[in-house]
Amino acid sequence: MTVQDLISALHSYWAEQHCLLVQPYDLEKGAGTFNPATFLRALGPEPWRAAYVEPCRRPTDGRYGENPNRLQHYYQYQVVLKPAPDTIQSLYLDSLTSLGIDPRKHDIQFVQDDWESPTLGAWGLGWEVRLDGMEITQFTYFQEAGGHELDPITAELTYGIERIAMYLQEVDNVFDLVWADGVTYGDLFHEAEVQFSRYHFDQADVEMIKRTFEAFEEECRRLLAEQLVLPAYDYCMKTSHLFNILDARGALSVAERTGYIARVRALARGCASAYVDRRAALGFPLLRADGPDGRKPIRGTTRSTKARAIRTLSGRHKL
Amino acid sequence: MRRKGRSVQRTATLLVEIGTEELPWHMIEPALHQLGYLFGQVLERERLPHGEIQTFGTPRRLSVLVTDLVAGQAPQSQEVWGPPQAVAFDAHGHPTQAAYGFAKSQGVQVADLVVRETPKGRYVCVVKEQPGRRTPELMAEAIPQVILGLTFPKAMKWNDTGIRFARPIRWLVGLYGSTTVRFEVAGVQSGSSTHGHRFLQQTTRKRSDIIKLSTADQYLPSLERAGVIVDQNRRRSLFEAQLRDQAKRVKGFILATNREQLLAQAVYSVEYPAVICGRFDSRYLDLPKEVLVTSMQEHQGFFPLVDRHGALLPRFLAAVNTKPDKTNCIRAGNERVLAARLADAQYFFQEDQKTKLVERVPQLQGIIFHQKLGSLFQKTERMVTLIGILAEACGRGELKETCQRAALLSKADLTTGMVGEFPSLQGTMGQIYAGLDGESESVSQALGEYYSPKTPDDQVPQTEVGQLLALTDRLDTLSAFFQAGLHPSGSEDPFGLRRSAYGLVRILVEKSHLVVNLVDLIAQATQVLHAQGLPPQDDRSDSEKSRARLLEFIMERFRFYGRTVHGLREDVLEAVLASRPAEVCDLSDLFTRVQALHAITQQPDFDPLIVGFKRAHRLVEKEGWMQRQVYPEHFVHESERNLYQGLVAAQQQLTQSMNHRDYGAALQALIKLKPVIDAFFLGVLVNAPEPQLRANRLSLLACVNDLFGQVADFSRIQVHEQ
Repeated sequence: MTVQDLISALHSYWAEQHCLLVQPYDLEKGAGTFNPATFLRALGPEPWRAAYVEPCRRPTDGRYGENPNRLQHYYQYQVVLKPAPDTIQSLYLDSLTSLGIDPRKHDIQFVQDDWESPTLGAWGLGWEVRLDGMEITQFTYFQEAGGHELDPITAELTYGIERIAMYLQEVDNVFDLVWADGVTYGDLFHEAEVQFSRYHFDQADVEMIKRTFEAFEEECRRLLAEQLVLPAYDYCMKTSHLFNILDARGALSVAERTGYIARVRALARGCASAYVDRRAALGFPLLRADGPDGRKPIRGTTRSTKARAIRTLSGRHKL
Repeated sequence: MRRKGRSVQRTATLLVEIGTEELPWHMIEPALHQLGYLFGQVLERERLPHGEIQTFGTPRRLSVLVTDLVAGQAPQSQEVWGPPQAVAFDAHGHPTQAAYGFAKSQGVQVADLVVRETPKGRYVCVVKEQPGRRTPELMAEAIPQVILGLTFPKAMKWNDTGIRFARPIRWLVGLYGSTTVRFEVAGVQSGSSTHGHRFLQQTTRKRSDIIKLSTADQYLPSLERAGVIVDQNRRRSLFEAQLRDQAKRVKGFILATNREQLLAQAVYSVEYPAVICGRFDSRYLDLPKEVLVTSMQEHQGFFPLVDRHGALLPRFLAAVNTKPDKTNCIRAGNERVLAARLADAQYFFQEDQKTKLVERVPQLQGIIFHQKLGSLFQKTERMVTLIGILAEACGRGELKETCQRAALLSKADLTTGMVGEFPSLQGTMGQIYAGLDGESESVSQALGEYYSPKTPDDQVPQTEVGQLLALTDRLDTLSAFFQAGLHPSGSEDPFGLRRSAYGLVRILVEKSHLVVNLVDLIAQATQVLHAQGLPPQDDRSDSEKSRARLLEFIMERFRFYGRTVHGLREDVLEAVLASRPAEVCDLSDLFTRVQALHAITQQPDFDPLIVGFKRAHRLVEKEGWMQRQVYPEHFVHESERNLYQGLVAAQQQLTQSMNHRDYGAALQALIKLKPVIDAFFLGVLVNAPEPQLRANRLSLLACVNDLFGQVADFSRIQVHEQ
């Protein structure tokens, strides 16, 4: 199974499960969780069900293309289900079957892994799913995001596309993966690994990035004051990525590092609150009976959820 | 009534199963303890006699089996008290208005009233028979409370009920014999069906893993047929047998380090226990053993194998949750994961060696120890100074240079890639890299052992430099946090200061050649800290109070250690600690005294001796007697002279023995005084009418009091006075 076959298989599987196939977000980010389709949609009472491929950048994981298992740029396959269906574990295991992994022939274990994102002010409980000892998926029930306690709870599944593909193709070096017939992962991305590793570790202009960080932070705050939450969140994401570059460049002492994380988190919290307020002002449009995928109501979108959501918020917003 | 009586005799097995998504392995056993305890309480409260309460747990279920549980409560009669007999009935025994009123209020006829004797007299009462309730009904009410009463270190919400549990609850089983016990928790209705192993179905045709149970007694065998070994003890012994067999097959033995913890983890991570044997490229055997072991154990939970000489084999055993398939894909997958980790470890090992530890020390400026307490570089500087002071204070000035070198390098391994990847290898990598850098054997050994003891059962450092470094690190950490006002309060101890203090106590007591005065050392450590301008003035708490608080904190750990590890008596500990002068605190000396006193309390003469001493002590205290001058010329009775001579001899022996720290002998000198003290009290009246005689006798007793006080505060010793 080529990498692109794998992505197609997951797309068609999750589309059948009534997930919207949304697209990657067009900004740099460290994980698919940062995509507004996860971070913002997890907030508030509105149901949501989406799947997408997310390119992720983790500057500190760069190895100049020399390590067979580490990349500073890679792909996650992200699924978010809100509210989390009762059958979610079986849904997940069936998705593996759709990739040709027969759970009965392998050892699949759900190993405790509690997830926390200090920059997003988010945490959740769940597992890393191991296939024959190898971590292939992060499985998390979000409990809080942007400092907000969540209700309903969103379940997030994050598949490591390269890991699973390496397993299926039985290759030991990520660059040997076949992306599509005749084209390897190395053909596509090795040069980027080399160049970006050099950039992040050796070349990034620390002063310029620090200045830019400040400017973007300021812009985010300004936009929040203007109640333009979506552009504000873009700038929050950008600061997070700039922080990651500074971190990789070794430009931050431990104390400074903590300080930068707290600054990004403050922006993320601001965005989360502003987003919930804005959706409330719009009357939580996705609580409508026919659901956001236009086909059928999303499970769990009951009248009582809606009624409760509106009740809890109406006090503040005079709905 | 007869029918009820019969039904009470009937018993059956109760089964409760909480079906969950995979629970964290380490939460299962504590949850089972709670479950057993809570069920015991419920059955007691509901007056339901029962047989054994057994609890079982796998990652997907927590369950309870109660055998021979009666079918219902025995009927209970309850007395409702009314007026006194004299009020309820007149002189002729006819019921009065009061009797009618009471009967009416209780919904009975006057004829149903009975008279009973009470301590307050004869009263009217109604005896109400309460029929016993049936077990399934009682359990239906109690089980949800028990389930929601379970607590976990971390819990989560998953649906709109807002209930919190370690992981989502997905099914519930309640069966009493063959009767379904109906209840609901977190929106899940109980029933009589459970789920088998996720992937091991008996027949491959069957898609669903649902298993219908017809009686509670079928529980274990039914699940076993469905691929689940519910009983954790059975999983454990199956694992042990397989581990042994697989190791034998490759002529290996399971590495003992962390074996028990890995086994517990394996037992609670699977529903069906199986073991596979994998291998790795033997070129990785060039890596330090600790690195290989950590790569296998941490994260992956593999069991490393060694040969009969203890050398690692290029093999490992892994616990899996399924019957391994012939295609070997499970083994291959696990091998590939380990290979990737070892490749990483090898990379770090090579990269790290390009920079010597001593060259890494300045990098510690970038690592904050605590925001109020500076960087690790500053901590390193403090430790270098403090260890010099400590070495000299212990009379080991000749070790000073080695000690200071070890202190300088002690934190440098925290900047290596290997420790970044495997934090638990701190210290261990310091030792390995120091060895490769050409540091002396004493320095590298000290680096390898100074974090010990890490747990209460862990060894204390074996080399002297290691011990001094371990003490220095803990002393600096403790005094720094206390000076910044960050001492533990209640059960909160975020910086692990209790463990630090406990380690310090153990090293000082168990390595008794380390004679140090803690009062001085704490003062020195504080001075070194303040010399760096730390903590900043605004964050500094009162220095003297903090030092006193730290000493008391350490003494509390000392008492805890004495009580729990050596079984020492509380009053004996207090007697010795109370006699400690404020400006000296030598733990090894105090401990020797406590042990000697503890030993002597076992002697038959001891309790009567203390009775005599206490009498003397009380008289001196009561009079507030300050004089010590004894005039032998005023003795009028032989017992006075004998006591005096006894005291002189005892003081001599005591001084000599104490100088040699032979507290056993010192205490024997006191024991020898028993007959002369007893004879004194028998022979003379202390409160003699003649002031001169009285004064002389009180002074004699004051000398007795002082003499004893040199060893311990015996007034705190509890004895059975006859």
